[in-house]
Amino acid sequence: MTNFLQLLFNGLGIGAIYALVSLGFVLLIRAASVVNFGQGEFSMLGAYLLVIFFNIFGINYYLGMALSVVIMAGFGVIFAYTTYWPLRFRGGLPVIISTIGASIFLENMVLVLYGPSSVAIDGLFESDGFEIGGVFLATQYLAIIVIATILVVFQYLVFEKTLLGKKLQATSQDKEMASLLGIPVVFMILITFAYSSAMGGLAGMLVAPLLFVSVNMAGIIALKAFAANIIGGYGSIPGAILGGLALGVIETMGASYISVPYKDAFAFAMLLAFLMVRPQGMFGEKISEKA
Amino acid sequence: MILTRRAALVTAAVTPFAIGRARAADTLKIGVIAPLTGVVAEPGRIQLNSLRLAAAKINAAGGVMGKPVELLVEDDASSNPGAVLAFSRLAQNQDIVGFIGSIRSTVMNAMAPDMLKLGKPVMFGGTDPTLTHQGNPWLFRCRPNDSYSARVIADFCVNSLKLKKVALVHSTDAFGTGGKNALLPNLAKMGVEPVLVQGYANNQPDFTPVVQAVKQSGADVLTSYFTNEPDCAIFARQLRQLGVRTPWVGSPSVQSPVTRGLAKNALYGTYAVADFVEDSNPQALSFANDYRAAHKESPDSGWTYDGLMILTKAITDAKSTDPTKIRAAILAIKKYAGTEGEYNFDANGDGLHGYNIVVNNNDKIEYKQHIEFTD
Repeated sequence: MTNFLQLLFNGLGIGAIYALVSLGFVLLIRAASVVNFGQGEFSMLGAYLLVIFFNIFGINYYLGMALSVVIMAGFGVIFAYTTYWPLRFRGGLPVIISTIGASIFLENMVLVLYGPSSVAIDGLFESDGFEIGGVFLATQYLAIIVIATILVVFQYLVFEKTLLGKKLQATSQDKEMASLLGIPVVFMILITFAYSSAMGGLAGMLVAPLLFVSVNMAGIIALKAFAANIIGGYGSIPGAILGGLALGVIETMGASYISVPYKDAFAFAMLLAFLMVRPQGMFGEKISEKA
Repeated sequence: MILTRRAALVTAAVTPFAIGRARAADTLKIGVIAPLTGVVAEPGRIQLNSLRLAAAKINAAGGVMGKPVELLVEDDASSNPGAVLAFSRLAQNQDIVGFIGSIRSTVMNAMAPDMLKLGKPVMFGGTDPTLTHQGNPWLFRCRPNDSYSARVIADFCVNSLKLKKVALVHSTDAFGTGGKNALLPNLAKMGVEPVLVQGYANNQPDFTPVVQAVKQSGADVLTSYFTNEPDCAIFARQLRQLGVRTPWVGSPSVQSPVTRGLAKNALYGTYAVADFVEDSNPQALSFANDYRAAHKESPDSGWTYDGLMILTKAITDAKSTDPTKIRAAILAIKKYAGTEGEYNFDANGDGLHGYNIVVNNNDKIEYKQHIEFTD
């Protein structure tokens, strides 16, 4: 039983990471109809900023995180102007390809500027964790679960209960109509990119103490976060969080009880199963519902 | 002699190429396939620094057959397709007389068929034993293969630590699988049946299932073949967090500077087999001092340095750049004192036949013993 609970906790922990990154995908899908394959690189850049502030300049850890989030928000605006804006009338595919290109560029830029070495960084708490009933609860995983929950509630409230959220969704659905209604479309899109980039950066800072900071730190996580987004329901906020958690738990349990080497395969088998049986995902496809 | 205008034009057009070719032939060209980008770019950087140090030393001593050594480097991007592409680019250059290959067995396996077709000597560091046992006469290994690391790990666990309930964790790539396939028969010879043999795929963010499997196996000693250092570090930390205190005897990645920098105290007290240990022989110490003076950091390996030294020594011995003659000269090398140990090439192309055991004593790597095999 202890073994099961340990696997469940760590599965939820890794699932919360997928959920956190997945939220970044969802935001851009809902507000700008953009699938951003540079989302993983946002996480990588956020983690490197924290390394620069905390490891190199010795700035207070939490202040370093706050500064990194602000810088990442600014970076999101630059990303939008360079990757999305010139292609905004060309449909979804050119923008997707553009984000893939941007992710390759960002990876290599960091490689040139910082080098290939992985870097260790401290966690949010001094203690690695504590034990309850034989189950080790890692503090960083706990923090990720709590922060992911707060962010999902915040994001849900913004989209569903505020005028800003309605404007963002209106922009996503029909930019021309939104503009005719007096919604500042450009500003809405820039806000979305800024928030998505800041949140991606925050996700990177939270996972950095667990996975170390490296150019490739977010590659597989971003892929699984995207899979979580499909499993939960394309563009659905509750879907992103539940899809992420389900993916984390199932791959951990599958690895432990069936086969460790096929751990990644469980995640993608789950994705395939959903695409065949319930392509709209757990919570339904937010985008198709709107159409 | 009357030079017509047409002949003058032809001469003028051809002369720069002729000079270019003459210049190209003025150096002894060695092709290098190294991971300069991607997940293993960090060891790639150290390997390249070591090669440049060796080339500088050779050139300062007058070069090889009167020619300075020139390294032509291609990035394998830490991937098999990248390596195949890198090698094919270099293979087109007919002036290259030999190659420095990869430390990664999976990459070497990918390039090996093209290396066989080209037919020029390749010095490499991958430790999958099958690489020198698959009928490719052009591969020469400058690190001890995993059959030796496996023998040393088995010997150390059973005879030195007196522990027989062995768990084995290995990557499922060519290196990890090769290590597993080498360790199991060696344990069997000592009458040991492992209580756990657990493979994993590279680049995992979480090792909880593997750690729990080790914990539940009841093993009293853990052995491992990790390919990527971050994987090894994440596993080490989770192992300690989940309360596993079992002695750990691993492949070289357990004591590499990169892994120790990431895992920190989670690796204290662990043992590892190590091909390169600074204080294990005078050549290693001298190389490490030169490396530190040039790069302000310690090297974690000397195989590329040895590889270039041996390749150029063989060319000097053969007095020729003919591949067949170089091959014969490499195989004739015996009792060559390199940084990784004493090289005695066997008919398969393996230069080294033993390993060191080291222990991580509060982040200081201490040399414990060297185990050499003559059979």
